[in-house]
Amino acid sequence: MRPSPKEFTAIADLKDIHFDFDKYDIRPSDAKVLDANAIWLKSHGDYLILIEGHCDERGTNEYNLALGERRAKSTMNYLVSQGVQASRITIISYGEERPTCTEKNEGCWSNNRRAHFLVKPR
Amino acid sequence: MIQRRALALLTLVLALAWLAPWAPPPAPRAQGVEVFLNVTGGGSKKLNIAIPEFTVVSGTDPQGTAKLLAAVAGNDLTFSGLFSVVTATGAIPPNNPTALKESWSAFAAAGAHAGVHGLLALRGDRLEAEMRLYDLTSPEHRLIAAKKFEGTLVQARRVAHRIADEIVLQFTGERGVADTKIAYVVGPRGAKELYIADYDGAGATAVTRNGSINLSPVWSPDARSLAFTSYLQGYPDLYRLFPFERRPLQTLAAFAGINSSPAWSPDGRLLALTLSKDGNPEIYVLTVATGALRRLTRHVGIDTEPTWAPTGRQIAFVSDRAGTPHIFVMDTDGANVRQLTPSGFQTQPRWSPKGDMIVYTQRRGGHQLWAINPDGSNPRQLTFGPGQAQSASWAPDGRHLAFQSDRLGRWQIFAMLLDGTPPARITSGGGEATSPTWSPRLP
Repeated sequence: MRPSPKEFTAIADLKDIHFDFDKYDIRPSDAKVLDANAIWLKSHGDYLILIEGHCDERGTNEYNLALGERRAKSTMNYLVSQGVQASRITIISYGEERPTCTEKNEGCWSNNRRAHFLVKPR
Repeated sequence: MIQRRALALLTLVLALAWLAPWAPPPAPRAQGVEVFLNVTGGGSKKLNIAIPEFTVVSGTDPQGTAKLLAAVAGNDLTFSGLFSVVTATGAIPPNNPTALKESWSAFAAAGAHAGVHGLLALRGDRLEAEMRLYDLTSPEHRLIAAKKFEGTLVQARRVAHRIADEIVLQFTGERGVADTKIAYVVGPRGAKELYIADYDGAGATAVTRNGSINLSPVWSPDARSLAFTSYLQGYPDLYRLFPFERRPLQTLAAFAGINSSPAWSPDGRLLALTLSKDGNPEIYVLTVATGALRRLTRHVGIDTEPTWAPTGRQIAFVSDRAGTPHIFVMDTDGANVRQLTPSGFQTQPRWSPKGDMIVYTQRRGGHQLWAINPDGSNPRQLTFGPGQAQSASWAPDGRHLAFQSDRLGRWQIFAMLLDGTPPARITSGGGEATSPTWSPRLP
C-alpha cells in the first residue's frame, strides 16, 4: 500500500541534491549532502521518507517522467547503501511537472533537476 | 495548347503519385479517378473544387447553416492538401437544372474541376444535407456521387466534416480525416487537464476536472476512450476515460513507481506501457480485458515510450541504453532489439498508421520533429521552426500530424501535412496546450 504523498512534508534538515542534464548518477558533491541526509534519517528512525525525482523542462514529457524516476531511485539506492532502511523509503517521479522556477536559463534548469526529500511520522 | 494540357495532366498524375506511398491500393472508383485524368485547365498540383453555399430545399435557415456547411467543408478540403477551394457567394437556386448548368459553367470557366452542390432540408432541430459531386471537366457536368447525411442542427459542423471526408474518399479511395477529434493537455505545470476538440479546434471541452496532473492521452483504436497518466491518487497511474459515455474512469495500472506512456495495439486489445515496479522503467504489454502483464524489456537503463507498428508485430521505443535516449525497435515479444537512430537525443517515436515511417522528436538545442524509415534509413527533418515542435500524433490518414509548438510563445497545438505546407493552428484558448492525440475516424 502506497502512502499518500500529501501526508509528507519537507523539512529543513534534509537538503535537495541536483543532477546533470539527462543524468541520474549521484555527483561527488551531492554524495556529501546525501551522507548528511542519511545520518539525520538514521537518527530519526520514526520517520518515513518520500523522495521526489524532478527534471528540467528541456527533455520531453514522458521521457522526463522516467528520468525523474531514475533520479529518485539512485538517490534511494545511495541512502540505502548508507544504512537507511529501504522499507522506510517511497519514491515518486514528477518528471518536469513541478519545477521550482520557470525561467529559461541554466541556473533555473539546474535547480529543477533535483531529488527532494519529505518525511512523515510512522 | 496541347503541350499545356499534357503538362497539366502530368502534374495531376504526379499529384496522385505522391499520395501513393501512404494510400492503400485505390478502391475501384473509376469515376473519381477519371475526374483527375479529365482535367485540362489550371496546372496546379491540386484539384480546384467549387463548393457554393448550400441550397435550402425545405424549411427555414435562421442560423445560416447553409453557409456554415459550405464554409466548414471548404476548410476541410483545403486542409486535406488535395484541393484548392473555389469560393463563391450565394446558393444555386433549388430545382432549377438550367441555373445549375449555368453555375457549373461559370465555375468551370473560372478553373474549377469539380463542383459540390449541397442541398439542405431543415425541420425543427434536425437537418438533412445531400452532397452532389459533379465533374466540371466533362461537357455534361457528370454527376460523380451523391450522398445524404443527417444530424441535429448542433451537429452541423460534424455533418460538414462527413461531407468533406466523403469527397476525399471519392477522389482518393480513402476517407478524409475531418470527422475526427484531437485530445490534448491544457494548463500550467502542476495542474493539467485533458481537453477534446474537433480536429480543427472547434468545440474544445475539458474532459477531466480533477485538479491533478493529467498527462499523455492516447485514443483507443475504436475512438471511444482515452488512456492517460494521472496523479489523481497521488502517484503517476494509468487510467482510461470514456469521454462520450456515462462510464466511470477505469484504472489500468497503479503499480509502485511510474505507470506511463500508454500505447494501444492496433486491434485495441493490448496496451503497451512503461512501469518501474520491477526496479527501473521497462516496457510491458497489458491485456486490457484480463489485466495480464507481459514484460518486454530487461535493461538497467530507461526504456519507455512504446509505439506499435500498424501490423502489431513490432514496437518502437526510447531507451538510454546507448548513453543518451535513442529510438529502438523490437518484436512484440521483446526479441530482435535494434537501434534506429545513431547519435544525438531522440524521444517520442510515433509509428505511422501506414507503417512507412516513424516520426520522433530530435533534441538539438531545441526540439524539432524528424522522421525515419522503420529500417533506419533516410532520417529527415520535418519541422524547422520558428520555435520548437514536439509530441507528434498521426492523423489516421498517415498524411497529417498534430504536434505542440511554442512558435507563438506559449505551447499550442498545430497540425500539418508532411509536404512542408505551413502548419495550421488548432488550439486558441488561454494557457499551454500540449501532447495532442489525434483520434481514429469516428464511428
